[in-house]
Amino acid sequence: MTDISPEMWAKVPAGEKAAPIPPPAPTYGQEVRRRLWANKPAVVSIVFIVLLVIAAFFGPYLSPHTYFKQDLKLANIPPFFETYAVTDGAGETTRFFLNASNFNLYEVDAEGNMLGLLRGGRKDMIKKSQPYEFGDQTLTLDYSKLPVRLLLEDGSEVRPSGWSWNRTYLFGTDQLGRDILVRQLYGAQISLTVAFVATLVNFFIGVFYGGIAGYMGGKVDAVMMRFVEIISTIPLTLYVVLLMVVFDSGLLSIIVAIGSVFWVDMARIVRGQILSLKSQDYVAAARTMGASPARILTRHLLPNSIGPIIVTLTMLIPSAIFIESFMSFIGLGVTPPLASWGSLTSEAVETLRAYPHQLFFPAAAISLTMFAFNFLGDGLRDALDPRVGR
Amino acid sequence: MTQPLLQLRDLHKHFRLPAAPFAPKPILRAVDGVDLDLMKGETLGLVGESGCGKSTLARTVIRLHEPTSGSIVFDGQEVGKAPEGLLGNFRRRVQMIFQDPYASLNPRMSVGDLIAEPLEIAGVGTPAERRKKVAGLLDRVGLPSDSAQRFAHEFSGGQRQRIGIARAIALEPDLVICDEPISALDVSVQAQVVNMLEDLQADLGLTYLFITHDLSMVRHISDRIGVMYLGKIVELASSADLYHRPSHPYTRALLSAIPVPDPEAARAVEPMQGEIPSPIDIPSGCRFRTRCPLATELCAKVEPQLTDIGGGHLAACHFAGELAQQANGVRAPLQERVQ
Ligand SMILES: Nc1ncnc2c1ncn2[C@@H]1O[C@H](COP(=O)(O)OP(=O)(O)OP(=O)(O)O)[C@@H](O)[C@H]1O
Ligand code: SF4
Ligand SMILES: [Mg+2]
Repeated sequence: MTDISPEMWAKVPAGEKAAPIPPPAPTYGQEVRRRLWANKPAVVSIVFIVLLVIAAFFGPYLSPHTYFKQDLKLANIPPFFETYAVTDGAGETTRFFLNASNFNLYEVDAEGNMLGLLRGGRKDMIKKSQPYEFGDQTLTLDYSKLPVRLLLEDGSEVRPSGWSWNRTYLFGTDQLGRDILVRQLYGAQISLTVAFVATLVNFFIGVFYGGIAGYMGGKVDAVMMRFVEIISTIPLTLYVVLLMVVFDSGLLSIIVAIGSVFWVDMARIVRGQILSLKSQDYVAAARTMGASPARILTRHLLPNSIGPIIVTLTMLIPSAIFIESFMSFIGLGVTPPLASWGSLTSEAVETLRAYPHQLFFPAAAISLTMFAFNFLGDGLRDALDPRVGR
Repeated sequence: MTQPLLQLRDLHKHFRLPAAPFAPKPILRAVDGVDLDLMKGETLGLVGESGCGKSTLARTVIRLHEPTSGSIVFDGQEVGKAPEGLLGNFRRRVQMIFQDPYASLNPRMSVGDLIAEPLEIAGVGTPAERRKKVAGLLDRVGLPSDSAQRFAHEFSGGQRQRIGIARAIALEPDLVICDEPISALDVSVQAQVVNMLEDLQADLGLTYLFITHDLSMVRHISDRIGVMYLGKIVELASSADLYHRPSHPYTRALLSAIPVPDPEAARAVEPMQGEIPSPIDIPSGCRFRTRCPLATELCAKVEPQLTDIGGGHLAACHFAGELAQQANGVRAPLQERVQ
């Protein structure tokens, strides 16, 4: 640069124009959206999350069942079953299925709608069998040996005639005869609410706290970050138990606990961002204009840290869901008959040996939701990272 | 002449570097006693090698750094020790143009918001008036008016620097500090930007503190030139005088490193030896003596002060007078001693 001749500094003739402006490049937002849409797992996750939210908040209104109504006669019904058909002398056909774990027969219609529990005759306690009469036909339920068998009068075994989905209780019922699907949707409502509220609280406290620590730096920063370390060493379980003394509701204490503890991650992330951004020239420029620290933080530093903040938020949601489920699972969460995914899981675990399918739905809900938020978080991180694809 | 617009007196900016716990923290003397007067309407060029403290001086003057000691008097008011809250007027009247046109523009703000920001902070006008003012400023720096809605990353380096300039002149300041405003730009764009700065100066009566390490350019734009070495100004003269009569060995070494357009100018080959010393450990006596071909014992003991060697030409060397005469073509006995 030192060998520019002085003629170079001569004035450009008046008519000469500056170099033309290039066509508008895609804005950062458009670029981020493009990269996010190109990420298949993230898109699938977004669709899943949207469907889940809609189902959780509107689904229960479409169902004839409630989360609290019990029907002990129809307890532990599976979501699908093998049906038997028996035709009596009058030509009447009765369809039913056998619950192999509680030795009950349930009448269903041809489509798979539940009609009710079939009443059998007296149980023979010694031979471990029970007769069922269908007009002039009598079947004997033999539970002396497992698996249970249905026997005709001549001693031959009845075979199922086919299988059917449960049309009345799509996901089956639990041990108190409540519809699992509706309880599942209510559980989603609670789990998602806890997650979003806790995440929102985290967002505000974490961004505020981390922003101040990062911007002030020095001793203020050191003290504030020591406090963060102290908070992050308190075991969350202990914290929830203590909070339950103050708030009666387990739900509220979980929200307060997650909200007041998990912000430390957000604070650390924001602080790191602010620390590295505040030496940027555009911050110096704002300072030379006399911008207040609040303005520098809100107009310059935080908007430029929005990428990591969003990613941290999406990553916080699955951990909040998991913590809530875990707390409910060990009995520190919502009070029955309210359901959350965690309490559904723990109820299902009680009947795990007889009805393993009951565990499937809450476990699948928790894992799929956590997967979805993690994939979305990863996708957002990649999409927001200006070093990728630029 | 009347009162200078900006007056620096014995200005120091020292950085305390981090060290192991309980070990004494080394002190880096980035600006180490600068005296400078800036007259209204003039352009003072400041040159020196990388790391000599030019940017630190600029950032201290504009109070991005707290001065360690010394005084900054702007338009008769001491601003060096004033708390940030009392700097309002100073913040409006002094603006800065940064070296890096990429880093100095917030990527999340539209160009219109960027240029309007100083107006907004100063509380000038309504949003509509500010938009109008921004359109005028964009026109003034030669950018199309639809630039306001765009973002800085859509522009080339030279155009971004124009945005930075528009932002700096938005409040019609008195003093603009330019910290290497063109060294990050293409050679072809540099001239355009410099010409624009000169036009703005003529129109708005700006005073420039113009920092650069490009000696061929600084001569073109500056009325006076200060040469900085290790945190101190070692020579200060009108630009013609400095090029004609360089009177500090450091200035001469700098000038001999570039093609001098004036063949009469002295071209005594005075190569600099070695590297610039660390500002943590500045040599005793004359700070240039470790690299000076003329250094004597006196130089190690006594620090030369900036003294007038005639016609307002200041230099900080024990032999400045002789060097000046030599540059004028008078053979001084010094020449023999050097050989
Ligand atoms: N914030 C800081 N903390 C510690 N040391 C610093 C700081 N800023 C600058 N320095 C040191 O001060 C010295 C002068 O730096 P400065 O940036 O002012 O040099 P310069 O003349 O502008 O160089 P260049 O031409 O490369 O821009 C350097 O040694 C640098 O390492
Ligand atoms: S005072 Fe001595 S060492 Fe310093 S510049 Fe002059 S001759 Fe060189
Ligand atoms: Mg610099």
